[in-house]
Amino acid sequence: MLQILLIAYRNLLAHRRRTALLGGAIAGVTAVLVILMGVTNGMKSTMLESATTLMSGHVNVGGFFKVTAGQAAPVVTQYQKLIQELRKEIPELDYVSQRGRGWAKLVSDTGSMQVGVGGIDIEAEQGFRKVVQVRKGSLDGLNEPGTILLFEEQAKKLEVGVGDMLTLSAPTMRGTSNTLDVRVVAIAANIGMMSSWNTFVPSKSLRDLYQLKDDTTGAIYLYLKDMKDIRTVQERLRKKLPEAGYTLMDNDPRAFWMKFDVVNREGWTGQKLDITNWEDEISFVNWVVQALSFITGWLTFVLLVVIAAGIMNTLWIAIRERTREIGTLRAIGMQRARVLVMFLTEALMLSFTATVTGAVAASALCLFINSRQVKAPEVVQVMLLTEHWFLKVESGSVIFAVVLITVASMLVSLIPSFLAARMKPVTAMHHIG
Amino acid sequence: MTPRNLLSAAAAAALLVAPAAFALEAADMKKILEVVDDRQRNGGDYKSLVYLEQKEKDKADVVREALVYRRDADDKLMILFTKPKGEAGKGYLRLDKNLWSYDPNVGKWERRTERERIAGTDSRRADFDESRLAEEYDPTYEGEEALGKFQVHKLSLKGRANIDVAYPVIKLWVDKETTNILKRQEFALSGRLMRTLYYPKWQKLFSESKGSDVWYPQEIRIYDEVEKSNSTVILIKSVDLRSLEANIFTKAWLESKSR
Repeated sequence: MLQILLIAYRNLLAHRRRTALLGGAIAGVTAVLVILMGVTNGMKSTMLESATTLMSGHVNVGGFFKVTAGQAAPVVTQYQKLIQELRKEIPELDYVSQRGRGWAKLVSDTGSMQVGVGGIDIEAEQGFRKVVQVRKGSLDGLNEPGTILLFEEQAKKLEVGVGDMLTLSAPTMRGTSNTLDVRVVAIAANIGMMSSWNTFVPSKSLRDLYQLKDDTTGAIYLYLKDMKDIRTVQERLRKKLPEAGYTLMDNDPRAFWMKFDVVNREGWTGQKLDITNWEDEISFVNWVVQALSFITGWLTFVLLVVIAAGIMNTLWIAIRERTREIGTLRAIGMQRARVLVMFLTEALMLSFTATVTGAVAASALCLFINSRQVKAPEVVQVMLLTEHWFLKVESGSVIFAVVLITVASMLVSLIPSFLAARMKPVTAMHHIG
Repeated sequence: MTPRNLLSAAAAAALLVAPAAFALEAADMKKILEVVDDRQRNGGDYKSLVYLEQKEKDKADVVREALVYRRDADDKLMILFTKPKGEAGKGYLRLDKNLWSYDPNVGKWERRTERERIAGTDSRRADFDESRLAEEYDPTYEGEEALGKFQVHKLSLKGRANIDVAYPVIKLWVDKETTNILKRQEFALSGRLMRTLYYPKWQKLFSESKGSDVWYPQEIRIYDEVEKSNSTVILIKSVDLRSLEANIFTKAWLESKSR
């Protein structure tokens, strides 16, 4: 075996240019694959972190309250009692937070925009401070009523800074116009498309805007100790809450604001609860991850085909060049199987070295980019859900890339290696070329 | 008592009596609102051609043409947009206290709040509908004043407790001579001024169903007071008070016109 390894190694060295070109191509493809997987993993990771802080818990108990059949509001009444019920039913629970939900026009002296308004109790939000990076002002300002947190993109569009006043304008649940003057207390770094339309005000202020009672909220966010329990908890709540006297909406795995059409068309009035998970609430951005995964898969396939053609072609050339050598080896007693193994070893040695090199280089590049906090173009930021490139290198992904490309290279090497092994020694030795 | 004292006493008495002389009794104010409503009320059917000119900051002006159909006896209202091309076929239909909007591009009906903006402009459903000020608001008198060349009653209206209205407080400037509304300001719950409306032109038309004249504003200028640069002008043309088809206020009818 050592001899075969030696022959393969020397043969690769003997054809340095060819080896370098093919090895470089394989390393390049591996690097591209690792980087693409880094982008996808980074997006998923950022999405999970941002979504489960800004827009959703792991599991959410939200719902709609309808004063009349045509007027639905994303409101949960008597939420403290509901939280007690949830604590009783979910031993997997880590912590709970409540978040008001609103949609209002935010008006400055120079412009306006429609925004989602989250009502938060900043002191009770455990993960919020970790995810939201404040650029100007302080999150503590949200302890005071009549204040607002904006993201940089919104502040730029409205041409406001910390301390400036804005007006929130929205109809109450009964359709009566109302406004609320709010002071900007913090401007945070953009979090992709999630920061395009999200703003945060104290819960009390949101209730004032919508003229809601103190025991109302928009949704209860449940954070579990282990996210693997999400489905189990959802199933259990679907069973237990109706038993406790609550009316549930049919399961609809979409963000709450996408359900207004359906809810408004239905004729019921009063309260209905809706149980969703974090993936449902950000289903509208999931397409980005799915599209990127598809592009990664398609690109990997195309690159693999290119490599396969390259490897096969190179081995064909090698076999043609070494036909007489193969004949001689066969004549002095080398078995067919060993000839096959000899060529496969050569392919393995080349592809494994190249993939490992490519993976290491790509991983190093990803880590370098992350450490330098390289700012992504604004269009890309929307999809990345962060303003900096974040390429998450996972050992599993790197090993997958190395194994996939090495195995693919080995598989395409099988045909020329098998043909080389099948040669008759006499024919091979007479070969002129 | 000296003549000077007599004069002072007379002046003081006149000043004390003056507010009572200029103030209106609750019944009088109610009467004004009823007259305002009644002058615009037809009782039968109503059809008009309406142009909505929308101005928004940093956006091109948009002019929409629409047909407004009303059957006040049944509280029915329909607005069918006919121009521009992109808006043609869209419409609103009020049935049994529900306002529905239809978009032929998606072929779906959506239930909307009655107090919603119409087609994203500064106008509301109430701007096209029968006037119901006396039913929905309680008035207080704020005095008599001059509005340009007109002498007007200024009234402050507060929404009644059990009636849902878009604006809980309204200030009205009503022409003393004609009892036409000349100016209207609408306030949010917070007390913030939301819209100012001007009614520079009124026109009358004889209604056979009512047996007398029906007044309608030919032009309504609406200024958004929150986003100061936004405004909408409503021009009401070709008012027709003849009876409409019986089955006109149905989803099917509006859909058929949208095709």
